[in-house]
Order: sequence, then structure tokens, then C-alpha cells
Amino acid sequence: MSYTFIQVLISGVLLGGIYALISIGLTLIFGVIKVINFAHGEFLMLAMYFAYWMWHYWGVDPYASAIVLAALLFLIGAATQRGIIQPLLKSPASMQIFATVGLSITLQNVALFLWKADYRTIQTAYQASKITIGELAIGYPRLVAFAGATAMTIVIFWFLKNTFTGRAIRAIAQDRMAAMLMGINQKKMYMLAFGLGSACVGVAGGLLMPIYYVFPTVGTYFSLTAFVVVVLGGMGDIRGAWIGGIIIGLVEAISGFYVPALKEAVYFAIFILILLFRPSGILGLGRGFEEVAQE
Amino acid sequence: MKRLVWSLFILALLSALPLVVRTQFYLHIFILTFLYASFANSWNLIGGYAGQLSLGHAAFFGIGAYACAIGSVKFGISPFIGLAIGVIIAVLVSGAIGYPCFRLRGPFYTLSTIAFAEVVRLLTLYWRDLTEGAVGILIPFRPGVANLIFSGKVPYYYIGLIMMALSTLLCYHVERSRFGYYLVAVREDEDAAEACGIRSARYKLYAAMISAAIAAICGVFYVQYMLFIDPEGVFNLNVSIQAALMAIIGGAGTWLGPVVGAALLIPLGEFLRGWLGGAARGLHMAFYGIVLIVVVMVIPQGIVVTVRNLLKVKAARNVEEERR
Repeated sequence: MSYTFIQVLISGVLLGGIYALISIGLTLIFGVIKVINFAHGEFLMLAMYFAYWMWHYWGVDPYASAIVLAALLFLIGAATQRGIIQPLLKSPASMQIFATVGLSITLQNVALFLWKADYRTIQTAYQASKITIGELAIGYPRLVAFAGATAMTIVIFWFLKNTFTGRAIRAIAQDRMAAMLMGINQKKMYMLAFGLGSACVGVAGGLLMPIYYVFPTVGTYFSLTAFVVVVLGGMGDIRGAWIGGIIIGLVEAISGFYVPALKEAVYFAIFILILLFRPSGILGLGRGFEEVAQE
Repeated sequence: MKRLVWSLFILALLSALPLVVRTQFYLHIFILTFLYASFANSWNLIGGYAGQLSLGHAAFFGIGAYACAIGSVKFGISPFIGLAIGVIIAVLVSGAIGYPCFRLRGPFYTLSTIAFAEVVRLLTLYWRDLTEGAVGILIPFRPGVANLIFSGKVPYYYIGLIMMALSTLLCYHVERSRFGYYLVAVREDEDAAEACGIRSARYKLYAAMISAAIAAICGVFYVQYMLFIDPEGVFNLNVSIQAALMAIIGGAGTWLGPVVGAALLIPLGEFLRGWLGGAARGLHMAFYGIVLIVVVMVIPQGIVVTVRNLLKVKAARNVEEERR
């Protein structure tokens, strides 16, 4: 293998870390509340703008603001759950989808109105610095983004696995009714899950800012990728989403290297293949496989 | 009977309208309303009756439009043949997306349609030889029935009106046919429908294909009216959302809903755009978004059903009062 190819693989994995983090937020919300948050990408857009403004006005480093953003996006997510999703819990799934689609259009266009369609980037001292191993070069911001995303993933995983609250969230994801009969506060757990899922994009927003630029429709691109990742990993499967994120990052890097203009078409081909052959995702733990009609 | 008389009355009124209304701007709003009402009708077949949300209907719309535009500009084919080709491609593609998704439950179809519309947009940008990429295709202005291009707005007005009337009639008949009852049964409870012997995946697929065909026809009308097409104009997510929005606000799964939704939203949107102007870019879409959230939360069945229920309650009260 040539050095160029290894270089492509490395950048794919690093990019995949960010995709994984965004997708884990989406799949967590879906797994627990059974709602696809179509405004997930717009939450990321908000986080990136906040990171941008904090840098612009107060010179706050985006990595530092990632922590603040996690808290802020947690609140936004919890408020969305409480204000929009909770009243619609008993409505058909299509109504919940449309409420989040409405939120997505609103946020996107309010951002367009307030902040115009300009692409904005920030400048940091470490932006161009890289770590060199032999002939390989790894960009420092990408490495930090990958490390941060992975750390956040581990924290969420640990939280769900080992804490009492995390177990309650998993219980309510498994069986809403049974969990409520066991005395689990459904409203609280749903707000917590939605908040945690949104906090993921808060962190992702801060980590992305030194690498990427922000504009009102930036969320569309990332949420489209996240949809593919979530289906690839299995809907509602957090570990699957992490692996799926890395795979899509690799696919993007490799197809971007050979057929740059068509990398999204490659995603879609993967998406259709999964739906055809393995709708439960790579680990087979997602929702959907039990629903395959016998024809 | 009453419904038929009312429908004919409104149709007659709309047919006579161009004799009175001469302002081009108003005619334009009517034409857009007819176009979007037909497009929302097409969405309603799969999204309303069958309950399978498509957020990528712009793809079928755009496929129809591009097939017609590429055919007439690049290959000199009559737009009628372009129309046929567009419809066939849209139906095949819609079947190819629907086939894997309709066997599953959950939001797979919604996700696939969004992803698909995005991919079609990128492919159109990529194949510049065929589609002119982001520049778009300009259709030369050669009026004539054979070219399906007319010099005034009035012929478009009537074609649009016929398109809307026919697609509404189709929805009306579907609603009262065995096929329509199958779709509603599948939407309400797929297990129960399957237990009654309905092949749910198959009927959802049929609905998706018919819907794609109508959307492609709408796309052809759009390009022959605008005489210009570019990927941002037809493959935008907002186009897909508008179709769904009108059907839902009017009443998804009712034959009258999409028409009512389009009749409310298109004029409102156009006036809002004119009134807010370029200074407030994005505000009118933000307004759509807020309306969508409010409708879903307050009157999820849409205007038509809500008004009908209100009238029923009122009628019942009147009867009660007369008894006293």
C-alpha cells in the first residue's frame, strides 16, 4: 500500500469519528423515544454558530466552548422534547416527523435571516499544525476532533451502561409501558435522552469549527450522512452507530479520493444495499429487522 | 350530489375567472396554486392515504421536468414524448426506492426519499454534458401547441386548472375505491390489514408509483411554464416539504385537503415574499416552518377535517335546540 492510500484511510477514520458522534446523538434519541429528530442537523448548525460567535466576540477557543455547547444543546434538546415531542407522543409517527421537520425549516431560515448565507470560518494558532510520522501527516485539529468524539462516545456509553439513570433510560427504550410500571419517570427520562442526544452535536459543533466552515444549511449535509450511518449501524444501536460512522468516514475518504463529485451517490448505494439485505444494521441490533414482512 | 354541484360551480367560476382577471401577477398566483395543488395531491396518495411520508417528492418532480427539458433542448424531442419518458423514469425509480423500504416499518422510506432527492441533485450537478449543471437549462421560447409553450398566461391557467381537477378527481375516486380502503387500512394498522389478507407492501408500492407519475407530470408543467430549470429550483428539500406541508395543513388523507392547503399557502407565500422583500431572506420559509409545527400540534387532521367536525358539532347542537 502506498503512503497516499494510508493517508486517505487515516483521514477517513478521523472524519468518521465526528460522523459517529453526530449519529450517536440521533440514534440515541431514536432508540429511546422512537422519534427521528429531523432538526438534528440544525442543532449542529446552531452549535457551530455559537462556537463561531464565542470565538468572534470573546476569542473563546472552540474546544473550550465545546463544553459550554454540550450544556446549551442539552437544554435545547430537552426543551424540544418537552415542548414539541412530548405533546405528540400519542400521535402517529408521521406527525412527530413533521413537527421536527417544521423545527428544522424554522431554525435553518431564521439562521439565514439573522446571519446571512455567508460561509464563516475561525482562525486558530493550531489550525495548520500537524503530527508527522515518517511520510504520514496527521492534522492536529482532526486528531483532536476524533479524540473528543470518541471520548464523548465512551462517556455516553458508560453512562447508559453503568449508572442507575442510564439503566432507566435503557429500560424505557426497551419497553415504555413496563418501565413506567416499574416507577420510571417517563417524561424525565425522555427529556434526558433527547438532551443527551443533542449534547452530542453540541460537542461535535465545537470540535468541527476549526476544521469546517459554518453556514445556515450546513446541518443538511451532516444530517444526511448521519441518517445513512444510523441505518448502517442499525436504528437505535449506539455501538453500531459508532462503527457505522467510522465506515462512512472511510468510504467518504476513499470515494472522495477516486470519484470526488459522486461520494454522496456512493452513500446512497450503501444505504439501499443495507435496506435490501440487512435492515437491522451491521451488528443486527437495530430496530426494523423484526418488522420485515414475509413476502 | 350536493358535492358534485358545488365542485362544478367552483370549476365554472374558476374557468370564467381569466375573462375578468387581467393582471398577470394574479394569474401567475393562480397557476402556481393549481400546480402545487396537483403536486400536493400526488404527495397525498402516498403520504396521506398510505401514511408513508415522502420528503423527497421533489426528485420525481425534477425527473419529469429534466426529462422534458433535456429531451426538447438537447435531442429535439417533442415535450409530449419527454413527458412520457419522465413519467416512466419516475415510476421505475419510485418503485426501486419503495421496494426495499415498504417491507420494513419505521422511517426508512422517509429517510430514503430525502437521501435519494439529494443524490439526484448531485448527479444533475455532476453530469454537465446532459444537464448543464448548476447553470440550468433555458428552454427557447417557441410558442405553439406542439412545443407545449404558449405566449400568454391564460393557456397555462387552463392546463393547470385541468391538471388540478383531474388529480383531485383521482384522489376522490381512490378514497372511495377498494384500493383506497386498503391504503387507509395499512396506514391505520398494518398488522390488522395484513391479517385481513391485504398485501401491504404491494399496495404501498402501487400508491408510490402512481404518486411519482403525477409528480413527474407536474414537473413537466413547471418547466414548460417557467421555461427554465436548475437543480436548486427543483431538487431543493424545500420543494418536497412544500408539497407535504400543503397536504398536511389542508388535511392529509382527504381528497380536498391538498387543494385547500395550496389555495391558502401559495397566495400567502407569494404575498409574504413580495411584502417582506429581499431584505428578509428566509423569513417566509421560517414562517412555513412555524405554521407546520403549530398545525401538527393544534389541528393534526388538517383544516378540512377540523372544519367538517366543527360544522357537525354545530349541526348537532341546532338539532338539539330545535327539539327543546
